[in-house]
Amino acid sequence: MRRFLRIYLPFSKAGIQEMMAYRFNFFFHLIGEMLSCFVMYFVWLAVFESSDSSTFMGFSMIDMTVYLFISFTASFLTYSDGAIAIGEEIRDGSIVMRMIKPVNFDMYFLFHELGSRAVETGIVLAPMCIGVELYKFCVTGTVMFSLPNFSLFLVSVIIAYLISFYFNVCYGFLAFFLKNLWGSSVLKDAVISFLSGSKIPLAFMPPVLSAVLSILPFASLSYTPVMLYMGMYDVSEIICSIALQLFWLIFFWALSKLIWRIAMKRLCVQGG
Amino acid sequence: MIYVDSIRKEFKKTIKQPGLLGSVKSLFKPKTEKVVAVDNISFHVPKGEILGFIGPNGAGKSTVIKMLTGILTPTAGSCTINGKNPQKNRKSYVKEIGVVFGQRTQLWWDLPLCETYAVLKEIYEVEDSAYKRKMDLLNEVLDLQDFIKSPVRTLSLGQRMRADIAASLLHSPKVLFLDEPTIGLDVVVKDNIRRAIAQINEEEQTTVVLTTHDLSDIELLSKRIVMIDKGRNVFDGTVDELKSNFGQMRELHFELANEGDLTKLEYKAKFGLTDEDVTVKNDKSKVTVRFNSDCVPVGDMLSYTLSSIHVQDISVRDADIEEIIRRLYKKEVIADA
Amino acid sequence: MLKKLKRTAKMHRIFIAQDLKKLMEYKVDFLTGMFGFMVYQTINILFLWIIFSGIPALKGWSYEEIIFIYGFSLLPKGLDHLFFDNLWSVGYWLVAKGDFDKYLTRPLNPLLTVIVEKFCVDAIGEFIVGVALIAATIGKVSVQWSVINVLLFFLILPFATLIYTGIKTITASVAFWTKRSGHIIHVFYLMNDFAKYPTSIYNDVLRNVITYIIPFAFTAFYPASYFLTGENPLFNLGGTVIAAVVLMTIGVLVWNKGVKSYESAGS
Repeated sequence: MRRFLRIYLPFSKAGIQEMMAYRFNFFFHLIGEMLSCFVMYFVWLAVFESSDSSTFMGFSMIDMTVYLFISFTASFLTYSDGAIAIGEEIRDGSIVMRMIKPVNFDMYFLFHELGSRAVETGIVLAPMCIGVELYKFCVTGTVMFSLPNFSLFLVSVIIAYLISFYFNVCYGFLAFFLKNLWGSSVLKDAVISFLSGSKIPLAFMPPVLSAVLSILPFASLSYTPVMLYMGMYDVSEIICSIALQLFWLIFFWALSKLIWRIAMKRLCVQGG
Repeated sequence: MIYVDSIRKEFKKTIKQPGLLGSVKSLFKPKTEKVVAVDNISFHVPKGEILGFIGPNGAGKSTVIKMLTGILTPTAGSCTINGKNPQKNRKSYVKEIGVVFGQRTQLWWDLPLCETYAVLKEIYEVEDSAYKRKMDLLNEVLDLQDFIKSPVRTLSLGQRMRADIAASLLHSPKVLFLDEPTIGLDVVVKDNIRRAIAQINEEEQTTVVLTTHDLSDIELLSKRIVMIDKGRNVFDGTVDELKSNFGQMRELHFELANEGDLTKLEYKAKFGLTDEDVTVKNDKSKVTVRFNSDCVPVGDMLSYTLSSIHVQDISVRDADIEEIIRRLYKKEVIADA
Repeated sequence: MLKKLKRTAKMHRIFIAQDLKKLMEYKVDFLTGMFGFMVYQTINILFLWIIFSGIPALKGWSYEEIIFIYGFSLLPKGLDHLFFDNLWSVGYWLVAKGDFDKYLTRPLNPLLTVIVEKFCVDAIGEFIVGVALIAATIGKVSVQWSVINVLLFFLILPFATLIYTGIKTITASVAFWTKRSGHIIHVFYLMNDFAKYPTSIYNDVLRNVITYIIPFAFTAFYPASYFLTGENPLFNLGGTVIAAVVLMTIGVLVWNKGVKSYESAGS
């Protein structure tokens, strides 16, 4: 284990340094991405003002706001594109440079991205959560922060990030077959934003659809962590949802290993 | 043709302040320091001449070229080229010049080469007939036909450089600026490019300003050189003058049959040389002797070495330009002291 | 002047033809991307539909009217993206890597040359979805498609587009002083999200910002609301024209000042 960390931690450190060098760019990037949250906030405000009822499909305005910002935070933290280059590297043969070193290909990408993710998490997580809790306090006048929920959220976000990482490793292999990944990544992001419930809460969808979507891996990416943060689940639901997340993590991890093995075989046959 | 009168260029460099607080501070109130890249440089180039502009890395060559081509504005001083000021009459000025930066292409990455030329034809308003004539000439001089239909990104470095030079000549410029046109190329391509430059210079009376690291570029192309270092002019004259003024350093390379033999060579005593004029370095059996060929003829050095000891693989080379510049400085320091 | 425009147009045609050729080469990729974009927009419309299943109107605007405004917002956005996308590269790398040099050694306006060099076909998706949404609302919203209004509609689009281009020019120019400004363009550009909805849903501060300071509201909501209600043409349409002219003027001034302090890169 110590040897393992000695090998891979330097990659994280490099990731941290790169991130620190671009922290202002990151900050602006974050603000830009958050703007859409604020647009949505005002849309919901108008919806609740235009509506006779104080809840909308079971969500109050406070719930909706928490959902918006926490779901944004979760999607932001679990986004992963660190391994997207892998298919490209296999195709142009530069992957050979990674194979001549006794380093696991996925661990290299993972630890490198973990470094920058650590900095980003530091910048994003606390302000967002404090902001949301302050908002709740201002509106209701009581402190509603729940440490158990927050801890569950953290655990769930970490698993979600790893699912996202291995899912994108698998997706990155596509570059091996496709000339260009622009089109498919637009499609992928669009489909995921729908399936993960980050755009429209799954609870707003027809019951059958919502049931199917919550089993698919994408709900594990942002919907599950948000529901845990908001304390929407009882104990059995919590256990089920985390177990489901773990299942998908193992699934994509195994799939990526399988594809890697097939790709390596082809690489050997083709001679790089 | 080209008059450069004591130009100077200063850059502001932001000083990085350590820590998060420091970087926040520097975001609002950056601490800057003044860096003088070019300091009081003057020279003059008559029409039709090829001027070699040399100096080590970071000497300010590119900065001077960028000022002459109107990309940068001098902090002080002036340059007049074809009777125009590159900064004030930019658009009409750049119509009369061609520019090639060796490390960076001005061609469009995805466009086939012929399309690139079609775009440049529009940009520089070249008449159809003149364009046709020019393309024929450039084709002949630079051998473009093999890759003229290929997208620029697929060209090799040598092909790209030829394409870039052709692009800079399409509008028959009066002055051609070449910044490191042979960098990273192999000997055959270098030679091809040098001949092309010489031919264009001859046929069209194009004035050429050329920066390079490679002394053979200068020796084969230009009679006159301007040498700068640390932003200052250190030499302006012909190649022959440079050599006679600063001594022509040569290097003798050979391999010893017996490593102990090195002590048998007494160059200083034999030819009466000073430390300045001869140095001996060795890496195990591989020996490099650097000597001033004005003080002792190459033939004498060779025959003395061969008669004194057993050697393998002997060869003589020119010392590189860095060496001449290094020596140039020594002389200057001595002269100042 | 006319001759110069003609030359630039000819160059632009070469680049457009080239980008279209590239498109044919990556047909599958392009179509997948287009499809992805349509899916994304469909999700947004679905979201609006879900909202309207619970309320009759959003601050007095019906579902179809909101769709009309949303569709309208995509037209100038798409046009700017289609024709003027290359300004992003000024902010991201042209200046930082010193590649801006080449524009200064050419006898053309650098701003114009940078802009015409790229024709961003990806943007066609935005444009198509915009047209489709507006078409879908015909007959369901009370737009008077008189000759004058149709004429005004086509006349106002270029101005709405130039609001985008102006904001991008100003923020891209910042790179001449700071080397990189891609992230600054990004933040300002994304504020266009606010333009897709009626300004009445925002609070006063935000409304004033998107009306008077970063006037994205004039790219969509204000002109669209004129066509929907026929009210206030002077403010709704005139404002768009003024905003476009002011922003482009500032943009060109800042750009020119920036080019003068451009410091290139390397030795």
